[in-house]
Amino acid sequence: MASQSRKGGVSLPDRRNPKSGGGGAASIISRISQSEIVSRGRQAACDGAYVAKKLLKSTGKAAWIAGTTFLVLVVPLIIEMDREQQLNDLELQQATLLGAPPK
Amino acid sequence: MASTTVKTEQHDQPPKEKVVEKVDYLNLPCPIPYEEIHREALMSLKPDVFEGFRFEFNKGLSPQFALTHSVSMGVTEIPSQSPETIKIPTAQYEFGANFMDPKLMLLGRVLTDGRLNARVKWDFTDNFSLKANALLVNEPHMSHGMFNFDYKGTDYRAQFQMGNGALFGANYIQSVSPHLSLGGEVFWAGQHRKSGIGYAARYNTDKMVATGQVASTGMVALGYVHKVSEKVKKFDFVHCLVWDLYDEFLRPFFKLQVSLASDFMYNYMSRDVTASAGYDYILRQARLRGKIDSNGCVSAFLEERLNMGLNFILSAELDHSKKDYKFGFGLTVGQ
Repeated sequence: MASQSRKGGVSLPDRRNPKSGGGGAASIISRISQSEIVSRGRQAACDGAYVAKKLLKSTGKAAWIAGTTFLVLVVPLIIEMDREQQLNDLELQQATLLGAPPK
Repeated sequence: MASTTVKTEQHDQPPKEKVVEKVDYLNLPCPIPYEEIHREALMSLKPDVFEGFRFEFNKGLSPQFALTHSVSMGVTEIPSQSPETIKIPTAQYEFGANFMDPKLMLLGRVLTDGRLNARVKWDFTDNFSLKANALLVNEPHMSHGMFNFDYKGTDYRAQFQMGNGALFGANYIQSVSPHLSLGGEVFWAGQHRKSGIGYAARYNTDKMVATGQVASTGMVALGYVHKVSEKVKKFDFVHCLVWDLYDEFLRPFFKLQVSLASDFMYNYMSRDVTASAGYDYILRQARLRGKIDSNGCVSAFLEERLNMGLNFILSAELDHSKKDYKFGFGLTVGQ
């Protein structure tokens, strides 16, 4: 709550009566901002922000796990297959150049 | 002068007709020893990942006798009660001597902290063999040793084990068909007053090996290893990467052996389940093993041949659930 203050701390001031257009206890702005639709809308926006933040965090976590797992499991494999491919190409080239090696 | 012609690809043999052979039940092959029943799965799925630096030097003094010197600097983990593991940096030097004869094998290793490991394997007849294994440490009552007596029959193997702490065990495995072998074991541990019985089965063909093992200690272990090695068209890296991932990773090219392994372990006493899957690529210049686990653990182990007698090792283990990452590299010199 905004009006609770810690010892020696600074707290927000109490909510003053909002400036009213027509005077009286219930002004237009306060009526709108306390109406049902707006408070529902605010609640939905809060929930939406919460869910979006959680989704972003879990997507980030999943991306991290997938990325590091790919780096450890797949990248050495690609590198080794590429080297094997180069070695095969070299041997094939040498075989065509010099003739097949005697068995 | 003979003219040299470039040999085009030729078939090794004309294709044979598939002959259905009648199974000769009196002449079955000898099965694999009981303790090696999971051998293929273990070789592919459990490389010794390490953390830190490792250097090994093998020097052969004669065709049968060799010395090894090994230095390893890294971190060892101590199991602790808190969820975080305690890691202590250690460094050690290990000296070892091997004597390999067709009939007799002797192996000894000494470490700087005083541990001595010795192994003997002696085939004193064609069918009988004796194995012994000892580990001596400085702390009292922590050393242990084990003797195994093996008998190899025509299509069965039997083994009797004796260890310190009044540990006795026996196991027996028999070939039931050219592909299937079944076995069982019993053991009794006097020190802990425990006894147990277990059964194992192994089915293997040229292309695959399936094993299963159940024990009364609550362990159920199943394993499956599939060997893929075919001759395929020339490998096009970019094309395969874009169009067909299966072609890239599972279809190897000449002189390439790939094993895909998967493993399932279940303990019905403690309700602990672990499944893992991995691959083992044996290329001409390198050997790469990778594994992923259901505990969120990913590990890879690469041995690359830099030169004749010089091997470079890289190991990585990422444990995503405990956020524990271990990386190691090393060099192996010698035959």
